[in-house]
Amino acid sequence: MSEKRIRLLPHYADDYHSLRRLAWEVWDHLWPWSRHSFRRGRFAVALSFGLATVVTAVWVLAAVGRVASNATLGWWIGWSVFEVLVRLESKPYIKDGPWWGRNYRSANLMDMICYVSFKNLLIAALLFLAIRVLKALAWIGG
Amino acid sequence: MRPFHLLSFIRILCTLSWLLWSASGFGSAYEAPLPSQLSTDPDLCAYAPCKDVIPGADAFSPRKGRPTYVEAYRNTGERDDKHPETNSARRELIGYVFLSTDIVDIPGYSGKPVVTLIGMDTRGVITGARILKHSEPILLVGIPEEKLTKFIGQYVGKFAGSKVEIGTARADGDSIGLDAISGATVTVIAQNQVMMRSSYAIAKQVGIIKADPKVPARFVPSAETQDWPALLADGLIRHLRVRPDEVGVADSGEPYIDMYFGYLNVPVVGRSVLGPENWQRLMADLKPDEHALFIVANGTASFKGSGFVRGGIYDRIQVVQDVDTHTFRDTDYLNLYGIAAAGAPTYRESGIFILRGGNFSAAYPWSLVFLANKLDQQTGTKTFANFDREYWLPARTLEGGRPEIVKPAPTWLRIWQAKLSQIIGLILLLAATATLYAMRDRLVRRATRKDKRWVSIPKYLIWTLSAGFIGFYSLAQPSITQILTWFHSLVFHWRWELFLSDPLIFIFWMFIIVTVFIWGRGLFCGWLCPYGALSEISFKIAGALGLKRFQFHLPMRWHDRLKWLKYGIFALLVVVSFYSMSTAERMAEVEPFKSTFFVGGVWNRTWPFVLYWVMLAVAGLFIERPFCKYLCPLGAGLAMPTTFRWFALKRKAECETCHACQKGCGSLAIEDTGRIDQRECLLCLECQILYYDDHTCPPLTKERRRRTRSGLELTPIGADGYYIPIKPIVARTMEETDREALNKSVRAEPVEAQVASALGFDKLSPNGVVLDQRFHR
Repeated sequence: MSEKRIRLLPHYADDYHSLRRLAWEVWDHLWPWSRHSFRRGRFAVALSFGLATVVTAVWVLAAVGRVASNATLGWWIGWSVFEVLVRLESKPYIKDGPWWGRNYRSANLMDMICYVSFKNLLIAALLFLAIRVLKALAWIGG
Repeated sequence: MRPFHLLSFIRILCTLSWLLWSASGFGSAYEAPLPSQLSTDPDLCAYAPCKDVIPGADAFSPRKGRPTYVEAYRNTGERDDKHPETNSARRELIGYVFLSTDIVDIPGYSGKPVVTLIGMDTRGVITGARILKHSEPILLVGIPEEKLTKFIGQYVGKFAGSKVEIGTARADGDSIGLDAISGATVTVIAQNQVMMRSSYAIAKQVGIIKADPKVPARFVPSAETQDWPALLADGLIRHLRVRPDEVGVADSGEPYIDMYFGYLNVPVVGRSVLGPENWQRLMADLKPDEHALFIVANGTASFKGSGFVRGGIYDRIQVVQDVDTHTFRDTDYLNLYGIAAAGAPTYRESGIFILRGGNFSAAYPWSLVFLANKLDQQTGTKTFANFDREYWLPARTLEGGRPEIVKPAPTWLRIWQAKLSQIIGLILLLAATATLYAMRDRLVRRATRKDKRWVSIPKYLIWTLSAGFIGFYSLAQPSITQILTWFHSLVFHWRWELFLSDPLIFIFWMFIIVTVFIWGRGLFCGWLCPYGALSEISFKIAGALGLKRFQFHLPMRWHDRLKWLKYGIFALLVVVSFYSMSTAERMAEVEPFKSTFFVGGVWNRTWPFVLYWVMLAVAGLFIERPFCKYLCPLGAGLAMPTTFRWFALKRKAECETCHACQKGCGSLAIEDTGRIDQRECLLCLECQILYYDDHTCPPLTKERRRRTRSGLELTPIGADGYYIPIKPIVARTMEETDREALNKSVRAEPVEAQVASALGFDKLSPNGVVLDQRFHR
């Protein structure tokens, strides 16, 4: 296995165990960094990790109505741009084809923009809906 | 020849966009700024063109009544400034003028009300109406605003108590039919309610219309009392809660208003809430046609408001029954000192309100309405919002039970019913297209590069139906504005009614979302988009009429730069929409869809739109789908999730070096490496025809020639795009055959590969990466 392939494709690309592979994928969706990137620039990683924490906090505040939606959008765009750059360095691959498949390939810039923006939109939508439902339940419960 | 400059192109585009933007909405009522005094100042007509809606009026009274209106007068003699007290005797009351937003809160498609000034004479006949402000995007960028003006003009001469319906009048002659505006169904249905409910409310208030008396409620005598939870569970006490975000204010951790209310005339409620003695005293004080309600509330807002201090009117709450609205004055208020029912919540504010006559009957359902000023987070302006909760006494408390009520169907359901035939037609077309595309492997196998009928005839048919039926007839062209609306609904306020109110667009979008994830955006963009279909048809017709020799593809280096424009436009629209939705909607005029389908011909628009449309149409005669490839923000929005479509088109290992398909790709979606850029691919299937064509596909042609020369059989072409290999069969014993079968089952492919194989999709190679690199570009 060439070193180039190790860098471009996930380590679980050859894993036949579907559930384990999907669990790794979920991790990859939520965690843009890799050991490779951790080794390369600890300061940048620490900075981005801090940024991610702040962004998550802003998302939660936005979902409960404490932060204006436009500010949230600004954070979302800012974080997405940053995540694209991080991923191109640390996990520069995407999956082609059905979600249950294993057809990974290296990603170009546009692939990564599409992946990150769409993934973050879905995460945001889920977060919003979940918090609103929870909030609604809390309200109903008095 | 001067070299092409991308910068110059962008400059031209910006200039054009500015022209279009300037041209749209000029001089219209779209988001027209209205003076803040319009809804509050006693002199309504100082801020509104009252004379326009009631011809012959010379003077108007201050605002009066609840809901408010002004009286219109005509002078019958000379004004006498020496004896002004006699002037009123020389003028005649000729009618009334009222502002719709003072009376009803009915949102249009935009979610905001259309502010309408209405005039009515003393017989209850509508004399005029004028739109002062609206936020309906379709009237900005699609249908001319004059059509709405013409629509409301139909109300002139109609009696305020008439049943007016959109479309053909019913055969029973009980209603009047009005011509709708094609493509703006939601707007006209909402506007019909605005016109008729406002007129009815004022006509009733001034005594022109006498309401049909309702049968008064007769209660089952009871000495029973219940605790608070039991009253709530039985629906004898109702709960209305408004969250801060629903009125656009910051969340302080407390509800904006959290109200409980109930109808005290019913013995079980009155006895339980007030205690038997207090309730007896209250009932003894009430006249036969008077009704008592109690309200207790918590929250940052007050249900009493401050209106009763200034004008003696509680302006935050109303009781609404059918079209009758009941408000309360300070004389209708009694203190509520405590609640006797066990388990009652603590509360900050309370009161008993007496509803006096006014054709109210507790036997029928009614609603308590809380009126709030809602802060629009996008514009910073305050709008009027209603929050209501229905109350209907349980059957066991009423003698004879509840009367039968036929509730009108919700507006969105009525629209679905009215458009049933179009809905069925659309569903059939979408289902047929999806089925045909799912059968593409069979179709492309039957077609060849020289004879593509098996693919082209279904496609031409679908294009024609799409442009004709979906585009021109049903006006269901999807647009980027709908994506923007979804974004906003997700972030600000999700309203299912808004999306359901346009059934064709709703169904089309559901189909688009599903198919984008299965096959990519190409099925919509390449097969079903009405404008895309029209563009493709015109390109084909131009070719057939002799322009083929002038038709060309842009060089790849230009194409590879220009294709990013549409993503830029999409991103710009999304960002601008969060700054100002109306600006984004104006900028969405980069889509020529409205000029094409909505306005009854592009020539009905102003010249910048015509110029833009003609430029695109002319370019489309020589370049295949220039708008779809380079400018369409909707296509860009759909291309992004296409990155994750499940089933790709088939490729062979040789595609990496062979560029035969690339030359014939009208979408210019095949890269030099042989990989198909699915975001750009419009699924025309040209490359798939070649994939199985052993007279065109170079690897297949080579193999065909080799076999022919060697006298070998030409076996069928397999799903991998190659001739099925010829393998010598060795005679074996039955035992050997059984053993092999057993081995095969042990080495069976993973489930997903079997599923994909059964579906005929060339995906999911069992050994992953190596095969992926070979087959899936």
